[in-house]
Amino acid sequence: MLNEEKIKLMTGIAMFEKKEGKKIFPLNRYFKSDYISSHLLGAFFGYTLCSGLIAVLWGLYHLEQLLNSLQVDILLELSKRFLLLYLAGLFVYLLITFLVHQRRYAYASGGLRVYVAKLKRLEKRYEYQNREKEITKEGVRHDRSSGI
Amino acid sequence: MIGLLVFKERLKAFYGSYSFYLNPVFKFISSLTVFLLLNGQLGFMEKLKGAAIPLALSFLCAFLPLSAMSFLSAMFMLAHLAALSAELAIIAGILILIVVILYGSFQPGDSFLMVLTPVLFFLRIPYVLPLAVGLSCGLFSVLPMCFGIFIYYLLIYAKQNAGVLAGTAAVDITQKYMQVLKSLFSNETMLLMAMAFVLTVVVVFLIRNRSIDHAWTIAIAAGMVVELAVIFIGDSRLDVNLSIGEVAAGGLISVLLAFVFQFFVFAVDYSRTEFLQYEDDDYYYYVKAVPKIAVSAPDVKVQRINQRNEP
Repeated sequence: MLNEEKIKLMTGIAMFEKKEGKKIFPLNRYFKSDYISSHLLGAFFGYTLCSGLIAVLWGLYHLEQLLNSLQVDILLELSKRFLLLYLAGLFVYLLITFLVHQRRYAYASGGLRVYVAKLKRLEKRYEYQNREKEITKEGVRHDRSSGI
Repeated sequence: MIGLLVFKERLKAFYGSYSFYLNPVFKFISSLTVFLLLNGQLGFMEKLKGAAIPLALSFLCAFLPLSAMSFLSAMFMLAHLAALSAELAIIAGILILIVVILYGSFQPGDSFLMVLTPVLFFLRIPYVLPLAVGLSCGLFSVLPMCFGIFIYYLLIYAKQNAGVLAGTAAVDITQKYMQVLKSLFSNETMLLMAMAFVLTVVVVFLIRNRSIDHAWTIAIAAGMVVELAVIFIGDSRLDVNLSIGEVAAGGLISVLLAFVFQFFVFAVDYSRTEFLQYEDDDYYYYVKAVPKIAVSAPDVKVQRINQRNEP
């Protein structure tokens, strides 16, 4: 027998899953600290790679100058400056990554709470239905035994 | 006005029922426009120039997410650039990679702006973009938008300097890299446009979030004033050659477009038909949920209660 109210609840839950699922369920598998730190690690490697690429571009731009005035102290000075810029940029980038993912995790936990509430409502509906069935069965048994 | 509102409701109902078919069609048309524009503007690789490859790629884009269109059009552009000059392609490739790693890793979902910006520039109505971004996206969307501006000027540079770039004249390879990088990054028109667009997005974004009457309309108007002011001031101060008439005309069309977008796109929640699947102990359910939209026909009666007596 199709239960219309149950179908409505389940459709609502399925709709919620479809619209919000992507933002909630992948995050829910991690603890907050694990989720954020894994992204920070990824951001660190991504940022380092990009700094390397930017250094390559910078090198290509100044290649001639570099080749003409190749001295150890100039190179040392340059690498020191690059390192400083790299560290400052890294700090800013990691801070942004941290804030963004912290907010996403907070959003996901809020969404999950809503989802669980919806599931609980469905569960209650099930319980109610089962109880209803049992009562009807008992009723039938009673009717049979009493012969009414 | 009532006619327009009814039309909007009808549009909503139509989209709600046929979004399943309309979305791929939109995606197909937009990606085909992008590929054909790239072929028309660059067209350095003969193999890509026929109609077959753009058509096939657009067909693919029609059924993939929007980010796939950004990816495929970037590859398409790089292929054309590589056919012209390896140096330019390498530089463009590195820059795209940097943006993808640093910005794309957040999965912001607005990477299509990188494609849309150059397209609007080619269509001569780029001024609508910061208004639209300010109205519909967040502040972070200025990053892909600025990169889109950069891509446009890179394409223009490639087109204008095709002869020099392709020439195998005895130019030192280090000089070539330097030349390309210098021309790309010291383009004052590009910097001016980026500045104007970013300021406009900020102004529009800040105003539309205020809780004042007609916030969106004021935001569009103020945004356009700021945009044109920055462009005109920059035009007089910097070494930039912009045709004032063209900018003004483009600005006017952009304001009109922004109002049309505001009316039909941004302020409307286009709910669409959803297909859901789930099961319980007894059944499998395949649900098609169609949004319920009532289109009410205008029913306006003006009844004059007392006639004004003119002296």
